[in-house]
This record gives sequence, C-alpha cells and structure tokens, in this order.
Amino acid sequence: MEELLTRIARCVESGKTDKASPYPPDMRGNDGADELTKQALDEGLSPARILDEALIPAMAVVGERFSRKEIYVPQMLMAAKAMNSSMKHLKPFFQSGETKRKGKFIIGTVAGDLHDIGKNLVAMMIEGGGWEIIDLGVDVKTDKFLKAVEDNPGAFVGLSALLTTTMENMKKTVEVLKEKHPSVKVLVGGAPVTMEYCEKIGADFYSPDPQGAVNYLKQFAV
Amino acid sequence: MNSFEFDFHDLEIDAPSIGRLLGYGEGNLYNVFSDLIRELLGNASRVCSVKAEYRIFHAAEWNDKAKTVTLTGVVFRLNDIVYKQLGKAESIAIFVCTAGPEVEKLARQAMEDGDPLACCIYDIIGSAIAESAARLLHDEVRKAAVLMAKNITNRYSPGYCGWDVSDQYALFALMPDNSCGVRLNDSALMSPEKSVSGMIGIGRDVSFDPYPCSLCHRTECLFGNPRRRQL
Repeated sequence: MEELLTRIARCVESGKTDKASPYPPDMRGNDGADELTKQALDEGLSPARILDEALIPAMAVVGERFSRKEIYVPQMLMAAKAMNSSMKHLKPFFQSGETKRKGKFIIGTVAGDLHDIGKNLVAMMIEGGGWEIIDLGVDVKTDKFLKAVEDNPGAFVGLSALLTTTMENMKKTVEVLKEKHPSVKVLVGGAPVTMEYCEKIGADFYSPDPQGAVNYLKQFAV
Repeated sequence: MNSFEFDFHDLEIDAPSIGRLLGYGEGNLYNVFSDLIRELLGNASRVCSVKAEYRIFHAAEWNDKAKTVTLTGVVFRLNDIVYKQLGKAESIAIFVCTAGPEVEKLARQAMEDGDPLACCIYDIIGSAIAESAARLLHDEVRKAAVLMAKNITNRYSPGYCGWDVSDQYALFALMPDNSCGVRLNDSALMSPEKSVSGMIGIGRDVSFDPYPCSLCHRTECLFGNPRRRQL
C-alpha cells in the first residue's frame, strides 16, 4: 500500500498522467497517476490517504522545485495534469462528503485583465494542496467576487493581475471585500504585484510563486 | 487606412522562441517538450488569421499641462512616460493588429480536454503571434515615415506604461467598426484576446528607444519589476 502511494506521488511529481502519456520519457509505458489511483482505490486505500499522503506531498515537492527555479511552467503543468488524472477518481468521494477538502478558495483575474496562466497555476497548486477551487475566470468584476464570498462563507480569495493599470482594480476589489466582509482573507499575486503593494491595499498575503500561497493556507486548513 | 494580412511564416516564430517564452534556455530541459511545441505551433500556423491596420493622423493637438493629445476631436489622456515619448510627434499612427480568434479556440479546447500544458503553450503562441504582427506593422509605419523623411517612436498601448486601459475606447473610436475583427468589451479589453492596439509617434524630432524601460522608475510593473528585483 505504501509503495502504491509512493508511486502515485512519483507520477504526479514527474507529470506522468497515464500509461499512454509519453512524458516523462524515462517512464514511457509505465502506469501513470490515473491507473495507479484507480488501483489504490480498488485495493481499499482511502481517498483521504491518497490525497494526504500522495497528491498533497507530491504537489508540494513540485511547488518547491518551481520556487527554486529547478523546473519551469511546462513541468508544473504536466504535474498538475497528472494530479487531475488522479483527482478525477477522488472527486466522487469529495462530492458525497465522504472525504473532506481543506477549505474553499475563490480565485480570479481582476477586472480589466485577461491574463490567466498565472492564475491557473496558482489554482492548480492550491487544488493540489487539498482545497476546493472556485475559479471565477478572468476580467472578474468586484461584484462577482463579492457574490462568490457570500455564497461560500469561510472561503479564501485569490486575486491576480498582470497589468499595472489593472492593479487599481485589485485595490478596489480588496477594499470592497474587506469593507463588506472584514474577516475574509485575501491573497494577491501577479508579475507586477509586490509585498509593499499588498500591504498598501490591505490584502492579507502576497507570494511571488504559487507554493507560497499553498504554504500560507496550510495554517487555515480544516 | 492601411490594412495588412500577414503570413504566419513572416512572423518568424519558431519552437525555440516559444521554448524561451516558457522559460527554457538553450540546451536545458526544453528539449523534453520540443516535439509538443512543434506540433502545437504547426496546428496554430494552419489556422491563425493575422491581420493589422493603421491610420495616420497628421493634426495632433498636444496639451503639455494635461498630458493629453487630441486627434480629430478625440482626446487621449496619456501619462508622463508615454507623453514624454510621443509629445514631440507631428503625426500619430493608431493601430490594431490581431492573431485572430483561432489559436484562442485551440487553447480553450485544450483546457476543456484536461490538458493545461497545451492550453498554456497555445496561449503563449497566440501572444507571440500578436506581438510579431505588431512588430511587422511597426515596420510598415517606419516605411511610411521614411517616405516622409521622418522618424518613429516605440509603440505604446493603453494598459501598459501606466497609460489607462480605458483609452482603448478613444483609440477604437478612430478606427473603422470591427477593425481587423477586433472589438472591445465593457472593461475595454479586446476580443480576440491575442490582439495589440496602440499609438506610434511620427516626426522629425522623435526617436525609437531600444531600452524604453530605462525611462521609467515604477517598481510595480510586469517588465520593470523582475528586472529590478535582480538588481
């Protein structure tokens, strides 16, 4: 059983989605995260153990490697794809309530900004940390963030911006969210965003990379 | 109005250039993904419809105090950085160019198919196409300026260099309806997304700056911030 969890984790770390996937070349022809997760469930491993002992640690390794610039965006996305192929077998257990997530995370690119690669990376890494993702997409107006917070009490919020000119919309969204829901935690990120800007606009957390957000959220996991 | 349709091969986009945009230098792990990048680049090259248009306005009215320029009654509210570069121009070229909607569709389809890597690569290819189209259009404006014995500036776009994105409405007001098939939404963003619009200054006393970021001291910037973090 332990070996199966280790193999799933290795597949996620390496981006080995399924048997048909040619990536990575040194695992060609081997079972991937898809087949191994199904096998683990068939053999009686709980979805919670697969999540906590394989997927979450594997995505943490991926996030740390990305932070250290040992891997690049494509490898991170391959890891996320492998995680998704495992997660699809676990989702029915989340939906039935049999297995609990760590919490909810609302994410979107702020109004006036269509860039979504960074936002998607953060969403995938946080999902890999065991959180349920509510992805509002790009060019998200403040009202839409507000409604999502009201529909999902206790959820955390992540705002992304890539343009200096749309950072002003990030500020407006933080102001409204904090005014209406002072206890909501707001995380901000994006290439032009800095820790100083985060503090200036009253957001709760900034990280230059996705793993920083995952690590920050750990303290709030239910 | 000057309109162009660019052939994909004129854009000079190859797999190594996309690899570099993904973060890979020569000789490192990029090779693992080179086959995939080539395949997706081939798909994109077969479907993209790259278009560009520009229009030159010869009567530019400058307001040094308000940092505005007015073209045929339409006012643009520039900021200090853009005004400093364009303010000596005698004429202004307004332009729109696009990679078309096709590559974006490929990206969306890849995401729906559960392939975020292919989605990301298509997204970067789309951006590279739009930027290359803008570069080719810039060359066309340069040729037109040379015929007038004038120089040109860098190209500046609403949303960048601190120029408010809402000036897109003014810019599109000066172009024909549905220019290059590009439209604005209610956030002043273009659709197709992989499009570039902006201004190029033309005049005897303007110049092209190969290092435009050196003029700006903003730390909160897509281009300046990472560079300054390294310093």
